[in-house]
Amino acid sequence: MRERDARDQEPADKWEVQLRKGCLELAILAALWDGKLYGLEILRRLESDSDLIVSEGTVYPLLSRLKALGLVRSEWVESDAGHPRKYYALTLAGKQRVREMAGMWVRFSTSMSRLLGPLASGK
Amino acid sequence: MTITGDVKQKIEAYLSTLRGRLRGASDAEVREIAEELRSHIIDKVAASGEVTAAGVDAALAALGSPEELANEYMTDNLLARAEASRSPLRIMESLFRWASLSVAGFFVLVGSMVGYYLGTVFLLVAALKPFHPQTAGLWLLRGSTGDPEISLRLGFGSVPAGGMDILGWWIVPIGLLAGCAVVMLTTRFALWCARQYRRSHLLPRS
Repeated sequence: MRERDARDQEPADKWEVQLRKGCLELAILAALWDGKLYGLEILRRLESDSDLIVSEGTVYPLLSRLKALGLVRSEWVESDAGHPRKYYALTLAGKQRVREMAGMWVRFSTSMSRLLGPLASGK
Repeated sequence: MTITGDVKQKIEAYLSTLRGRLRGASDAEVREIAEELRSHIIDKVAASGEVTAAGVDAALAALGSPEELANEYMTDNLLARAEASRSPLRIMESLFRWASLSVAGFFVLVGSMVGYYLGTVFLLVAALKPFHPQTAGLWLLRGSTGDPEISLRLGFGSVPAGGMDILGWWIVPIGLLAGCAVVMLTTRFALWCARQYRRSHLLPRS
């Protein structure tokens, strides 16, 4: 577990891990915005489209929690690979929630960027 | 892709440990979780081209140990259920599961049981007062040692000797209010504990 070893090293790393983990729920819901995906597709989507370090052991339980909360629904679909896959899609409540979360995120990150701009550009 | 032999055995051993750790989940839930992970592992192994024992080991390692994974499932689901429904029955069901996982869960379960019990007794006393007007209510009694005790009586049995019905008919509105308040507070307490637990659970463990 690369991720966990990194946690012990520096406080800044630890903070980063918390930050990433906190964003995971939003990232998963956002990945489903365009349509249904199965677990591994969600993982790949997150890896390719985002900078999140995603642990597989976190995503599946989180998906099952999002389902229990009624934000996503799931269905089994037969695949060419010869075994069924469990696909997830946003429910109406899930769509509404992810839109709200995205709005909050943008407002929050805009104001943080304004505050942090001078620091990050090193002036 | 068909997976056979040692490799299949490795996957089944992992899933079997996981199933054993998903205590309290329904059979259907356990089956669904295992099916989904099996499908994930097979896809993962297939993506690397050929099926090797090392490939399966890597796929299983990426998921983490079955014990840790089961714990994530149990706590995540438990809390989602409690949060999604405010029904005391659902909450108690989840708390039983949580109690089987941790000491903190056990104490929250005991606390909530006491709360729901007290709330139910208040409601019952209020409901039974019209049927047992002489004996139901909040009584001040002299115990066997002579010390005064306060007792909520449902009104079955005889009038206690030397006792006093403190509230009289007031037990009906007061019992209903107190019962509802205790049940509501207990529900909020259980949900609050669940949220605190999740917050600490989500923080990186160092």
